[in-house]
Amino acid sequence: MFHWLEKNPFFFASAISIVISFAGLIEIVPNFSKAARPLVDLKPRTVLELAGKEVYKKDNCIACHSQLIRPFKSETDRYGKYSLSGEYAYDRPFLWGSKRTGPDLHRVGNYRTTDWHEAHMKNPSKIVPGSIMPAYKHQFTNVADIETAYAEAVTVRNVFHTPYGPEFKSGKAAWEAHKPKVLADAKKIADEMQDEGVKKMVAEGKVPEIVALIAYLNSLK
Amino acid sequence: MNSLMIKTLGFAALLILATIFVVTKLNIDIFADSVNALTIAGAIAVATITSAVAAKYINQMKTDTTSGKLAEENWDGIGEYENELPSGWAYTFLAVFMWSMWYGLAGYPIWAYSQIGEYNEEVLAYNAKFEETHKNASEETLKEMGESIFLVQCQQCHGATGDGLSGRAQDLTKHYSKEEVLNIIKNGQNALGAFPGGMPAGMASGADAEAIAAYVAGGFKGEKPAAFAACASCHGADGKGTPMVAPSIHGYDIHNVVSKGKKGKIGRMPAFGSMITPVQEKALTAYVQSLAK
Ligand code: HEC
Ligand code: HEC
Ligand code: HEC
Repeated sequence: MFHWLEKNPFFFASAISIVISFAGLIEIVPNFSKAARPLVDLKPRTVLELAGKEVYKKDNCIACHSQLIRPFKSETDRYGKYSLSGEYAYDRPFLWGSKRTGPDLHRVGNYRTTDWHEAHMKNPSKIVPGSIMPAYKHQFTNVADIETAYAEAVTVRNVFHTPYGPEFKSGKAAWEAHKPKVLADAKKIADEMQDEGVKKMVAEGKVPEIVALIAYLNSLK
Repeated sequence: MNSLMIKTLGFAALLILATIFVVTKLNIDIFADSVNALTIAGAIAVATITSAVAAKYINQMKTDTTSGKLAEENWDGIGEYENELPSGWAYTFLAVFMWSMWYGLAGYPIWAYSQIGEYNEEVLAYNAKFEETHKNASEETLKEMGESIFLVQCQQCHGATGDGLSGRAQDLTKHYSKEEVLNIIKNGQNALGAFPGGMPAGMASGADAEAIAAYVAGGFKGEKPAAFAACASCHGADGKGTPMVAPSIHGYDIHNVVSKGKKGKIGRMPAFGSMITPVQEKALTAYVQSLAK
């Protein structure tokens, strides 16, 4: 019956790949697509948090920090619940990382606070003696790019249907309407901080990188 | 029996004798226990059967001629007979095929192995065992355990010695001073996440407040001032707190602050929720209370 196949190497190879991928299809694909769906109560990041995520990428925190808690007791004891793939559904790209010079940060929002981050980012070794994490003083003066962060939110809403509200539209008018909300979020963070320069910048309607970054770190829960 | 079979069986016998020779040289008593005996029996069987089967096929190769119908296709002159599949092989293949269909369509999706599931079971079992082992841990053990937890989870804010890193967090090396207690009595406090209502201001005043503050700050030593009754209604007659109503004021109340956090004058302490287990909480209490002595 299969002599025909045996005489035609091309079709024989195709038939073999169909047979072999069958197992993969029924075992991998359903699980994968189920796990990659966003968790039920997952909210997309706010514009301020998105801007902070860009700071995280730009200053290359991923070189030393992972954001993926594996289901091992030693990790969950220290960091909290293991990570689920559905938690990253709105992260483009996700920042799992693969190097842990410093600790994992996927749930750092649960056990660190705004003012702790402020002091730590300014001078890590003052807070954690012997820390080899570099100080990020420039984040206290550099201005975060909240416009681009807003554009990112609008783009993922249009392209991937990430559930941002209908008020996320392109155009200057929509951005001007949304901007006060971003500044209000920034002010909430700045109020819990001590740095006078940061407070002054926020009062002037500018968002220093550190404020966006802390908003992002606080959202990692 | 032809000569080849006799020769191979002779070879097998040689192998077996050599094995027994080596084993006895190693001072191993073959019949001392059943596993040894079984192992030797297995070795004898393997040697005999392997030689016999090898001899049979070598003989067959010498005498067999080919016959049967050739399949149509051949590869550079090498052809293939259209023989029936050996039935044992065919049935095994069918059985494996059916099992794999069942496994792929039902077995795996429904009873799949899950790494997370295994993790959950292991952690539940481990935690139960941990709580059981340390149910009646000695004060020393608790203190040591508490110190190591403190160094992982708390020292980043409170400092390795618990001194609060010059005012960044509560200085745990001392409990509330008389002034601080007076201040709390005067102004009330609504900082602990565990008590949303907080403590009202002005629960005592004047000399009463002074006497209570001295008594609380002094570690509940000496005579209890009569006015402490004003505090006892919430904090309990011994000041050890009432669940859901008020925290212990006998040293720091670890349970409430660790599980629900605090946002006070110094800053915010995050809530650790269920990350700290009951035994760990006991350990932290023992350790932190030992700091303030
Ligand atoms: C050279 C490697 C390195 C880089 C780059 C780095 N860190 Fe760290 N980080 C560390 C180390 C080591 C620690 C542990 C010691 C400490 O707490 O300072 C740490 C600790 C932390 C902690 C505290 C986590 C905890 O559980 O205590 C936070 C938050 C953090 N880093 C954020 C950042 C951010 C945000 C960036 C990027 C702006 C960054 N780190 C870049 C090495 C690094
Ligand atoms: C109405 C109930 C009530 C009464 C009466 C009361 N307290 Fe409290 N007390 C509380 C609560 C609730 C808290 C926790 C406040 C918070 O949320 O921070 C508290 C907190 C405190 C604290 C701080 C504990 C900590 O760990 O931060 C001290 C000290 C204290 N009380 C002392 C007193 C004294 C002394 C009196 C008597 C004059 C008194 N309290 C009377 C309810 C009460
Ligand atoms: C992110 C920083 C941070 C971490 C981590 C932290 N704390 Fe705190 N803790 C604080 C701050 C800030 C306060 C002071 C809050 C205030 O009164 O303003 C505090 C207060 C306390 C108090 C005093 C509560 C009271 O009743 O007044 C205790 C006890 C305490 N912490 C224990 C712990 C323990 C135990 C851990 C580790 C499991 C821990 N803390 C981890 C920041 C932290």
